[in-house]
Amino acid sequence: MAVVDTSAVDARAAQITEPSPGALLRRRIFGHAGLMIGVTVLAVIFLMALLAPWISPHDPFDQILDRKLIPPIWTDSPKATWVHPLGTDQLGRDYLSRLFWGARISLLIGFAAMLISGVIGTTIGVLAGYFGGKVDMVANFIITTRLSMPVVLVALAVVSMIGSSLTVVIWVLGLLIWDRFAVVMRSATMQVRNLDFVAAAQALGCSTPRIILTEILPNVANHLIVVATIEMAHAILLEAALSFLGLGVQPPEPSWGLMISEAKGLMFFDAWLIAIPGTALFLLVLSINLMGDGVRDVTAPDGRS
Amino acid sequence: MKHWLTPAVALAAAAGLWSAPALAGKADDTLNWATDREVAVVDPYYNNTRELVVMGHLGWDALLFRNLDTGQYEPLLATSWEWIDNVTMELELREGVTFHDGSSFGSEDVVYTINHVVNEDNGVLTIKNVNWMKSAEALGPHKVRIHLAKPFPAAEPYLSNAVFIVPEGHYDSAPAGADGKKDFGAVSPVGTGPYKFVEVKAGEYVLWEKNGAYFDDSPKGTPQIGNVRFRTIKEMNTQLAEILTGGLDWIWDVPKDQAERLEATGQVTVENAKTMRVSYMAFDVDGDSGQDFFTKKKVRQAVAHAIDRESLTRNLVGPASVVIHSACHPDQFGCTQDVPKWDYDPAKAKALLAEAGYPDGFEFDIYAYRQREFTEAVIGDLAKVGIKANLTFLQYRALRDLVWEGKTPINHMTWGSNSIPDVSAITSHFFSGGRDDPAKDSEVIALLAEGDTTTDPVAREEAYKKALAKVSGELYWLPMFTYAKYYVFSKDLNFQTTSDEIPRFFAASWN
Amino acid sequence: MVSYVLKRLGIAVLVAVTVSLITFSMIYLSGDPAVALAGETATEEDIEQIRRYYGYDRPILVQYADWLFRAVQGDFGQSHYLKKPVGDVIFERLPTTMMLGLCALIFALTLSIPLGVLAAIRPNSLIDRVALTIAVVGQAMPSFWFALTMMLWFGIYWRLLPITGSASWANFVMPSIALGYYITPGVMRLTRAGMMEVLSADYIRTARAKGLRPITVLFKHALRNAIIPVVSLAAVQFGFMLGGSIVIETIFAINGLGFLAWESIQRADLPMMQAIVLVLSIFYIVLTFLADMLNAWLDPRIRVA
Repeated sequence: MAVVDTSAVDARAAQITEPSPGALLRRRIFGHAGLMIGVTVLAVIFLMALLAPWISPHDPFDQILDRKLIPPIWTDSPKATWVHPLGTDQLGRDYLSRLFWGARISLLIGFAAMLISGVIGTTIGVLAGYFGGKVDMVANFIITTRLSMPVVLVALAVVSMIGSSLTVVIWVLGLLIWDRFAVVMRSATMQVRNLDFVAAAQALGCSTPRIILTEILPNVANHLIVVATIEMAHAILLEAALSFLGLGVQPPEPSWGLMISEAKGLMFFDAWLIAIPGTALFLLVLSINLMGDGVRDVTAPDGRS
Repeated sequence: MKHWLTPAVALAAAAGLWSAPALAGKADDTLNWATDREVAVVDPYYNNTRELVVMGHLGWDALLFRNLDTGQYEPLLATSWEWIDNVTMELELREGVTFHDGSSFGSEDVVYTINHVVNEDNGVLTIKNVNWMKSAEALGPHKVRIHLAKPFPAAEPYLSNAVFIVPEGHYDSAPAGADGKKDFGAVSPVGTGPYKFVEVKAGEYVLWEKNGAYFDDSPKGTPQIGNVRFRTIKEMNTQLAEILTGGLDWIWDVPKDQAERLEATGQVTVENAKTMRVSYMAFDVDGDSGQDFFTKKKVRQAVAHAIDRESLTRNLVGPASVVIHSACHPDQFGCTQDVPKWDYDPAKAKALLAEAGYPDGFEFDIYAYRQREFTEAVIGDLAKVGIKANLTFLQYRALRDLVWEGKTPINHMTWGSNSIPDVSAITSHFFSGGRDDPAKDSEVIALLAEGDTTTDPVAREEAYKKALAKVSGELYWLPMFTYAKYYVFSKDLNFQTTSDEIPRFFAASWN
Repeated sequence: MVSYVLKRLGIAVLVAVTVSLITFSMIYLSGDPAVALAGETATEEDIEQIRRYYGYDRPILVQYADWLFRAVQGDFGQSHYLKKPVGDVIFERLPTTMMLGLCALIFALTLSIPLGVLAAIRPNSLIDRVALTIAVVGQAMPSFWFALTMMLWFGIYWRLLPITGSASWANFVMPSIALGYYITPGVMRLTRAGMMEVLSADYIRTARAKGLRPITVLFKHALRNAIIPVVSLAAVQFGFMLGGSIVIETIFAINGLGFLAWESIQRADLPMMQAIVLVLSIFYIVLTFLADMLNAWLDPRIRVA
């Protein structure tokens, strides 16, 4: 709440002093509660992932079968111990350590799949939006074709046929979820390309790739960031769904989706086993979404949409 | 224009879905059991799933009956049988037995069934179950002669588990498929068994009802429960939810942790029973996979010493599971544990690795398809001696392709021997030089051929023992453990678990 | 208008053909279909027999041409596993999935449209925050987790609803909510955005200025215009749901198209997989085509674009 209050004060201050656009943007960023929460949570998860080798109390792969399924410390089970604050999994591996290491894989999947789809989608979208005409028609055709194929079904079929691994999952997701990038980038580019500064650059004789890179892309970057967050969250959830059906990341790699999938069998009996990675995944996706919403609000100040 | 493309028609059909739910269990005298598999074809010859083995014994009878307590073969549809020579068998058939359609059972049915299934053009799915026979002929109204294709000592196990008798002309009415070939699996099931087929809805259920006219002195007993309904429920959690709330009466393949917790609720009966399935790890002995670590026997020994099979069995599989040392199931004829053994000894494993030139271990790919957590436990054990195993988890068919192409450095797989209690169904399958054979050891191949075609039991055992000792001694396989299955069933149900993975629902009753 | 319709129709057909080509070639990722078909206990002779039986020994292009020619006539061949005509099986399962999709859509719309409208009328009020929370939470929660949690409470603990089956209306409650909740956020955001835009439009101000009752303005003028994009989104989302019901149908053992798809993937029933992907794609293509037509009819500006 403190953040919101500050913003109110800032807003009043703004009326008096008429600050620079940069300062206004900073205020909007720091005044946006959702954005701040999202960024903070994401930063914490990112740090967990980054520091996993140093902050993990145990080796995440070290199994001790005779110590399996120790409950976390907040349960009143006599087996609960501070040696394993979040307990151990079905193979006696430390749950807290796996959670830290799992952050790496889940972030990696989300980020890499988003990157692949971003490159594909942005290329198609920007080209379509910039050149229009025939190029746009072809791009539209490709986008429509892609949209008409059911993502989950195709992903499952492909992964089941070529065998699943971290790399396969990233590529399959990346190659499937670029549609939103293409659609949004196309319309954003269309708006920008008719603006004066693009025409000016064209008149100056700048090469087309240069115009796209230096004039178009920076001006559609805010849309790009918003879509990137959506697709990153989308990829993480899709991986969880694939893992649920046994076709996601393969063990013993501790992705959060995989941890949920491995724990699902005991969810009626040891709910904590699925609640821990489930909550982590939920917070990750939530924070990414909040960040995306925040970026959109901050860059389009006429209210969120 | 095909009708199903129009949503309006589909919606109209959807309106028909709103009907009353079915009751279940003791209240309506229906035993509901479920697995995760869909059954569409209800015919043991044209559907080679475990579900149809179970239903095969429900709806049909075989010629012989295997008494699980004594291991002996008893009369079922055949009252007596004798070997004329090692490729000819004569059987006297039971009189007074009728099929579900009312026709009476006799020689012509057995002759028709056998001659139909051994004909490869008729496309029986597991041709190996029947192609040891060449033909059958009637010697009288209730006497038949079976001609074998080759000497086959395991004829009795197959005759009692895989050859079910259908009435004469049964498959003649098969509809032609889209490709013009006859679709034998589409024929409505008719047998002599203790239960009669009622209906099937693919992906949902197969319903059977008690055969009131089942013959009295069958060793399978008289059926008690009115109806038996098989249901497909893919998700184990959903199966658990249904068995806890009474929607199901019987499930199996429940993982150990869940089974233990279900038992703790006190609401259901939980049993752990032996199965014929064994777990093994096969090494790429000749280095075809491109990762040549396992061409060195010391490395294979190191792997064998690194894996704590006892702990894995105790903690993950279940109390009815045992560690095995030879490439077969202890209950199978010819299987002996009197072979070289490799005990859990990580220190020795490390020493062996160092001797083999890998003091810091190495990294390789391991392949598996079933019970991921078992393979994960193996990977965990290997990590402790410095070997990093990367898991590729595949569907069975995909993995078997790779195994056949020799692309797996180690594959951790299982084999159920089709519930045939004979070493020929496993050791000979894997080590006779075929695609599954990791070593193609000519000595083993010769020994197995000797065991497979000799009729003298003692000589067979001797040959198999030598072969098994070589396989374990050279570590072509690291035999792991026997599978144990957790059965969970309603407290209302009086059910006897068996060691061959064939639940006898015809012998079950309500408490 | 006619030329617009024809153009859209031409694109739709072209997309359908492209999808069919992709679908067909995708299936061959798995290697030898005869091996896949033969099952666990098959020998080399079994496999050779199956290969000849199903015509997998022919060149792939011949197989595609043959398949497409028949598919156009509604004949997708025989299911390898079910031994029935694929078209018949799909028609058998489609109503269940359509029913599920419709129930889910109804749930999603009855939850999201009122909330979206209320949120738009009172931006930044409590109801807006609640709506936003529902949207953000809905986007961040894996659907299988939500489904299993519902099953635990409503099915096992309280025994209010049946857990599996598709026999009565009660069977559809949990799966519809689980499936519908996933699309709620998108619809809600679009409704809110549309309403806010329309409410600030001149003709609404005029209507208000003329002294019309607020309720009349809201429903007769504002909602009617704001709902147009929501309708096309809903149509498209319905197509998505049919493809995305795999996880939900698997959990609730609903014998629909999604479950059939997952089963077919697992047992490598190639003709069935091909047909399901194609049917769902065509379903989607038809829905988008209809949505386009609707938009063009309502908004003449589109027709000339």
